[in-house]
Amino acid sequence: MFLGRVAGTVWSTVKWPQAQGLKLLLVRPYRLGDLPPGAVPADGGGAPSEPTDDLVVCADALDAGVGDDVIVAFGHAARVALSEKLPPGGKPMVPIDAAVVAVVDQVEIAR
Amino acid sequence: MIRGTVIGQVWATRKAQGLEGHRLLLVAARDAEGRATGRLVVASDTLDARAGEDVTVAFGSGARNVLRPGPDNRDLLCDAAIATIVEGAE
Repeated sequence: MFLGRVAGTVWSTVKWPQAQGLKLLLVRPYRLGDLPPGAVPADGGGAPSEPTDDLVVCADALDAGVGDDVIVAFGHAARVALSEKLPPGGKPMVPIDAAVVAVVDQVEIAR
Repeated sequence: MIRGTVIGQVWATRKAQGLEGHRLLLVAARDAEGRATGRLVVASDTLDARAGEDVTVAFGSGARNVLRPGPDNRDLLCDAAIATIVEGAE
């Protein structure tokens, strides 16, 4: 999983039928250099502070909005998150490998 | 798996049901020389790892095996978990 900020939304009309109704978000992952000073482990030799622009497209069932900080899960965990409304034994069939699994209230960085 | 240092904790009330009860830690990844790479990972923690401790994080089915070992754990919502607390590396 990773921590990121919702940067935008993506929409499409042509898609796999099982992806109908899924909202897609663009999420920018936080890197160590994005955190407040002091968050870098002292003996870590410093963090690269160059910004990263590798956005991740992920499905959203929690109605996150632009500017929200979120946790995104990959792979099977993403499909499990999207399939929680399935009946018991139902298998996650969505063609998705990244999903918002939490909208963050607070990040506590140890000093 | 990656090696990293626990630098904090993340809280969320609005979350997927499967994350209920998970303690979520923020881990800064380190490279072979021990330098922070800049990559941050959020991992479920069952080992009670503390801020400042070096840990290894397992991903994918390896992460699910940390939470519940065995073949019947594909219902778990977990793609990253603290697998070990590291005492030393050289």
